[in-house]
Amino acid sequence: MAQTSKKKPHSKPSEKKYKNFLKLNGEHPLKDSCPDSYILYKTRKRTGGEVKFFNFDLAKEMGLIDSNHPYEMSKSLEKIIHDTFSFLIINEYDLENDIKFSAKELREGEYMATRYLQLQHPNKQGKTSGDGRSVWLGQIKKKSKTWDVSSAGVGATSLSPATHIYEKNFQSGDPSISYGCGYAEIDEGFETLFFSEVLKKNNYSTEQILAIIDFGNGISINVRAHENLIRPSHLFCWYKQRDHQALKAIVDYYIDSQISRGYWQDCPKNKKKYDYFLDRELEVFANLSADFEDDYIFCWLDWDGDNILMDGGIIDYGSIRQFGLFHHEYRFDDVDQYSTNIKEQKNKAKLIVNTFAGIRNFLKDENSKDLTKKDKKEISNKFDLLFNMRRQSNALKRIGFKQTQIEFLLKHCQKDITEYLKSFSYFERAKSSVGLVQVSDGITCDAIFCMRDILRVLPQVSLHRGEALKHAEFIEIIRSNYASDEDVALTPYKRKKINHFLKYYFKLVEEVAKEFNLTKENLLLEITMRSSVINRYDRVTGDSITHIVQKVLHADKKLSPEKISTLVRQFSESQNLSVDDKKKSSFRYHESSKMMKSFLKIVRNHRDGI
Amino acid sequence: MYLCLYSGGDEIDNIDIDKKVLSLVKKKDPSVTYIPSCSYASEHYFKDFVDHYKKIGITRFIHFAVDVPQPEFMIEEAFKSDIIHLSGGNTYYFLKYLRKGQYLKKLKAFVKRGGILTGLSAGSIIMTPTIDTAGFPDFDKDDNEENVTNFKAMGLVNFEFFPHYKNSKRYDDELLKHSKKISSPLYACTDGSGIIVEKKALTFYGKCFMFYQGKKVKLDTTSRLGL
Repeated sequence: MAQTSKKKPHSKPSEKKYKNFLKLNGEHPLKDSCPDSYILYKTRKRTGGEVKFFNFDLAKEMGLIDSNHPYEMSKSLEKIIHDTFSFLIINEYDLENDIKFSAKELREGEYMATRYLQLQHPNKQGKTSGDGRSVWLGQIKKKSKTWDVSSAGVGATSLSPATHIYEKNFQSGDPSISYGCGYAEIDEGFETLFFSEVLKKNNYSTEQILAIIDFGNGISINVRAHENLIRPSHLFCWYKQRDHQALKAIVDYYIDSQISRGYWQDCPKNKKKYDYFLDRELEVFANLSADFEDDYIFCWLDWDGDNILMDGGIIDYGSIRQFGLFHHEYRFDDVDQYSTNIKEQKNKAKLIVNTFAGIRNFLKDENSKDLTKKDKKEISNKFDLLFNMRRQSNALKRIGFKQTQIEFLLKHCQKDITEYLKSFSYFERAKSSVGLVQVSDGITCDAIFCMRDILRVLPQVSLHRGEALKHAEFIEIIRSNYASDEDVALTPYKRKKINHFLKYYFKLVEEVAKEFNLTKENLLLEITMRSSVINRYDRVTGDSITHIVQKVLHADKKLSPEKISTLVRQFSESQNLSVDDKKKSSFRYHESSKMMKSFLKIVRNHRDGI
Repeated sequence: MYLCLYSGGDEIDNIDIDKKVLSLVKKKDPSVTYIPSCSYASEHYFKDFVDHYKKIGITRFIHFAVDVPQPEFMIEEAFKSDIIHLSGGNTYYFLKYLRKGQYLKKLKAFVKRGGILTGLSAGSIIMTPTIDTAGFPDFDKDDNEENVTNFKAMGLVNFEFFPHYKNSKRYDDELLKHSKKISSPLYACTDGSGIIVEKKALTFYGKCFMFYQGKKVKLDTTSRLGL
């Protein structure tokens, strides 16, 4: 009898090399764990696309390509990218209208459009909302790390707001409806790309762009990845509907996924896990709102828990901005409503945590009532405690203290930190006498002082001359382009505030010097080094990202995916504010391309902006 | 007049020259102004600079960028230092902004009143009569993206300086050719080498070479010449 060969058939070299792409076939553990949390879509091939960007570094980290893969878009790599990502869903409109697709066009697999709460939907319980133009591609694991991958711009799902506002299904790409046609825009993909890579470099948790496929006319498919793409709103919809089973399924899924990813290792197994879950989420949201406020990151948080991930990761960069100054009156104009401002983010984050608390109660007792005032007060107090501690820690970090010094000050010098922050905030929050003004995408009242500048210059000058700055010098340093002479006039009150700032700044320095047995001079020297990098002159802002993306998209000579990949890598490196990185910065301005230099000039020109 | 022209290399390569420079300062706790050739991301290099010089006893530093607006008091503060260091980078860009900010005159005045001016690579070339040496050889030259047309530099010394020199034929061909075009000597130094100008005497540290009227001469370590 002839023996059957046990040898596997020879796979083509490219198939073998890129075999992990095949895992992005629509399969994801959420499918089995949370059967109520998605709608499945079959898909069809989409042709005519061009790979505009591929994140080689992220792909290497994820194991999609080998670590030694060249930064080159080979034909075989391009093919597998198209095979994996260039598709459209076959949606409700297609089925209703009996639109036929040839067998050649059809792809295998079914992809999830996930359900989550969205406040812009007519139904405020999340019965009809979720991924309106995205589907989940799958999950990739490499060593102990896991990535969820999703793709935006793959067609109109029945979870988009337009479907329910107009009460009909839309054909993907329907030109009569912009938001709701299921397509994504290429500038949105690139803004996410540049912004997320900079924030990632500076240790923010964020979605990252894996690939951008250009379909012309400003339309693209934007593929994104993050460790865990579950948003609070994925949970909130079931809580609002009081669907215990579906809610338990997704909360348990999230808890289990956190444990399997190596986090939450001390999470209890019984119902106490929901207390643990609440405590962790409270920490995440208290800390992230403090970090956002201190780094001037505007993120439109709201009670639906939509524009953020469960782990505090940033997602949906459409309305994300980083301000150069504390422009705390800025509000994004979203056609029929204004967004929250940066100071209100904290309260919105608290509302999100309140909902987590309600979820905890509901999961522990199906008959639990809504949170009482007392419950909310308790949560608010815990939140404020963590929020304030994080803000204090951030303030000390921005001065240039090391972690051990920060810990000492937080433990022993609360009063001094509080006093320091009072005058710091006074200057940081000072507004232009011009008042409220219209800007391209919203309204604002300009902040006028740049506190990064004083934190960078103060230790140098104090050490250099052996005495503190004069009042006029202080104001001259912090004065931004937005400040008028009237704004910076040295009033007796401003003088008092400058004295207060300097008094407590140096008091903190003296406390640390005493505790760590350092001379004040040596400590100021350490602070000089650290603060010069932390508070560097140029820092990326939302406006600068918008202009950079326009430059990339309208470059005289078309930029290849390899070239864009290099630009993104260099740009994020140029914005690295990490001071504890042992590795020296590899960025060299004069070794950069003209395009890269133009990016940096844009960042500089918008350094005070929104 | 006290000048130090570093060629290049890592901080550790220049430690002997650094010590000599420090010995020129008559003060116990000298201060240094660090002027980056270009301020983009220069904070990282300033941090590395401070990290190195604090190890040899300097504790007071000012980071002073010339390509961004500076308040008057910061200019005064920067020029009060005992040492001013001009960093390496693109020579054309550096010269453009030193000239635009009217800092060349201020630097000359600083040197005249006894301040110690040090420079590395581009920063060294700026001290010489012209920045011509930044423009060759083709395989190792600065790009003149700023379209600088006036190459006249500070002229604190009567020689030209060629940093990052490598003792090889292809460099020599270019330097010999250039030396025939100029009347002053051209000193070429490898990384880790440099020249100290003390009053009117030049002291050479490390591997330094003189190219003069079509000839090349190796200069002995710590050899001294008149300015």
